[in-house]
Amino acid sequence: MDISEFEQMDSPTQDVILEVEKVSKSFPGVKALDNVSFTLRRGEVHAIVGENGAGKSTLMKILSGVYQADQGTLRYKGKAVIFRDVNQAYEAGIRIIYQELNLIPHLSVAANIFIGREPLTRLGILDEKKMNADAATILNRLNIHMDPAIQLNKLPVSKQQMVEIAKALSTESEVLIMDEPTSALTESEIDELFAVIHTLRNQGVAIIYISHRLEELRRIVDRISIFRDGHSVSTDDYSAIGMDEIVNRMVGRKLENKFPPKQNTPTTEKLLEVRNIVRTGLLHDISFDLYRGEILGISGLMGAGRSELGRAIFGADPMDSGEVIMNGQKLALHSPADAIKAGIAYLSENRKEDGLAVKMRLTENITMANVYEISKRFGVLSHAKEMEIAQRYVGELLIRTPNLVQVVNNLSGGNQQKVVVAKWLFCDSKILIFDEPTRGIDVGTKYAIYELIGALAREGRGIIVISSELPEILGLTDRLLVLHEGKLAATLTTADTTQEEILSHAAGLVTARPGNTAF
Amino acid sequence: MSQTITENMEEVRQIQPTPKRFGLALDKFITFAAVIALFIIFSIVAKNFFTLRSVLSLLLQTSAVTIMGIGVTFAIITGGIDLSIGSVIALSGTIAVMVAIAGVPIWISMIIGLLVGGLCGLINGLMITGLKLPPFIATLGMMMVARGVALTITNANAWPAPEGFGNLGNGAIFGTGPQFPGIAYPVLMMIAVAILFSFILSKTRIGRYTYAVGSNEEAARLSGIKVNRVKIIAYIISGLLAGLVGIILASRMVTSQPNSADGYELNAIASAVIGGTSLMGGVGTVAGTVIGSFIIGILSVGLTMAGANYFLQKIVIGLVVIGAVTIDQLKVRRK
Repeated sequence: MDISEFEQMDSPTQDVILEVEKVSKSFPGVKALDNVSFTLRRGEVHAIVGENGAGKSTLMKILSGVYQADQGTLRYKGKAVIFRDVNQAYEAGIRIIYQELNLIPHLSVAANIFIGREPLTRLGILDEKKMNADAATILNRLNIHMDPAIQLNKLPVSKQQMVEIAKALSTESEVLIMDEPTSALTESEIDELFAVIHTLRNQGVAIIYISHRLEELRRIVDRISIFRDGHSVSTDDYSAIGMDEIVNRMVGRKLENKFPPKQNTPTTEKLLEVRNIVRTGLLHDISFDLYRGEILGISGLMGAGRSELGRAIFGADPMDSGEVIMNGQKLALHSPADAIKAGIAYLSENRKEDGLAVKMRLTENITMANVYEISKRFGVLSHAKEMEIAQRYVGELLIRTPNLVQVVNNLSGGNQQKVVVAKWLFCDSKILIFDEPTRGIDVGTKYAIYELIGALAREGRGIIVISSELPEILGLTDRLLVLHEGKLAATLTTADTTQEEILSHAAGLVTARPGNTAF
Repeated sequence: MSQTITENMEEVRQIQPTPKRFGLALDKFITFAAVIALFIIFSIVAKNFFTLRSVLSLLLQTSAVTIMGIGVTFAIITGGIDLSIGSVIALSGTIAVMVAIAGVPIWISMIIGLLVGGLCGLINGLMITGLKLPPFIATLGMMMVARGVALTITNANAWPAPEGFGNLGNGAIFGTGPQFPGIAYPVLMMIAVAILFSFILSKTRIGRYTYAVGSNEEAARLSGIKVNRVKIIAYIISGLLAGLVGIILASRMVTSQPNSADGYELNAIASAVIGGTSLMGGVGTVAGTVIGSFIIGILSVGLTMAGANYFLQKIVIGLVVIGAVTIDQLKVRRK
């Protein structure tokens, strides 16, 4: 149901700060926005959700002056406006906070907030005192508690994000756009962020909140607009619409289950035995087994050592002591090359930073970990064979790409993840360690990734899934390890556990468990 | 496995293996067209530019920049730089001459010169990967040390090389007398180097690894690529080709010249950059560098023949470097 028109007529116009009317925007070959309409009111938190490619970011770029609409009207405070560039939108009071922070690590919090317009003394020297005092005022107004003189990189990411918000709102501003603000935050940090967002809303700031994490919207969102394939599907009061309905409208079809039915049956055959892994300060004496055909989850709070454990097994970081035994054979893991040779793959949580060479082609990324396979004599590569292999995986994994030599930077997050999977399938990996496999991936593609993981386990591979999303761990795995401050806090059977139990282990609330005297 | 996944998706799309990429082809065409245009302009402006003799001399003069430009292209694609090229040229040339003077057969002394270049590259690579020095610093140090060694072993003198040492740099094949002096050996070596290293960079495993390391070092490492080894090889290639230029230049002058080739590394880097190699790493081709060095070569020979002085040449080539990279940046921004 499209009720946005109804709402536009009914709501008092002085409440509305920003109206987007029938805006369209095309790029060569794609219509990114098609007749999109939506309204934003003062003092509301307005979520915009949609799969990747739904047009959210294009609209945000129009609102912030990066792009201009081909057709349609932008009405800001009742007047039709066109933002020709970023400065015009900024002058008008529209602020955007991107997923990646735009701060300078070696400067103080205050210096970051006032960068580009530092207060000066009469002699033209930086007025540090005034800058710190003004910064403190701004931080106080937002209910953010921190010392403005502290160096930025001494703060955790969540606090840095607050600095970004303070910087954005340090000048007169009325609209704040936040793109995936919680993607790098822990649960408690999210609470802090939401408290700040509440404060802002109560001060009358209109907030557009973009997120893939649908679960968290409930806690802060007043209204929600759903985008799909460049169209605005609907706008509703958040309380009037259920989670299932949101997901249905996003994908345009019914997604009965967020997780596919179980495909794999774990065997009793030990594929991997991890014994007493120690990495000083990070991992303390961790042991576990992985069985053929099993999906094993690794859960824990941020900083508990989840990724560190995965990377240690992969030989990406050196371990101080411990053994990794695969098929009864002790592995000498000095580098990822050793792990790959043994048949272990690690799919990093940061696809773009260390999973893919984004400037290189799809073909080249798929073959990157196994270039030997496409080599002829004297290290000469077979182009034909490489194309054939890429074609095969693009078909098997349904990677959406206009062609095989596309530069992977131009693919969507879900398709990039599939390229990474293809890379490791081409190595014939027996053990795949997925670190946050669905981070930044939209709902529809998540399902496909889950299916893929299930299928890989059914083929007799061993799968380790590291995830900060408990529903993902519960929906996907057979057993799970819970880490707490680098120690193994519990090994649980997924079918017999609950989110609450996992969380209490992760938070270190369970002080003793059978068979472990270390706690 | 594929079936399970396919069942749940409605669409199976036909994928074109390769796209029609007019854009990219056009880019390369434009750079190449610039070379032709320059050539035509100078043929009109400068008397005697478009003669067989001057074309042959252009090829000979450009061969040194091209060969070292190809070497530094490897280092730059890994995300590094090699500032030691000019000094390594001087060092390998002087050592080859000094060894020949000491009575070692000429061809062996030349191979020793080549190996000295390779050794300098190896040391650069070890400093960058083992000591984790930034490439700029490591090769800056090597630049000073190599020059100092060259000056020390020659006592800063130009020593005449034994007879026969000059054949490589001054000889030619297919010569028919003054009308057609023939194709100089350095030109043949330039062609061979260009073909060989273009093949290595685009068609072999080590070439692929070079791009991978420059494009995303951590992704390359996590893909099992021995990143350090790849970098070391890139610097060895840069050093070896500097060594080759070193013996060519020493042979052309038939003396040890410890002060020669000062600042040549900057011409080499300029030709790579004009040819589209990115200092950020991950991007560049041998063909691009060859075109880049010919743009520099034609400009300097052409301007000289058109009567412009040496200082003007410097200005023009500087502007071309800035202009070429500006165009590249604009292209990136447009995307």
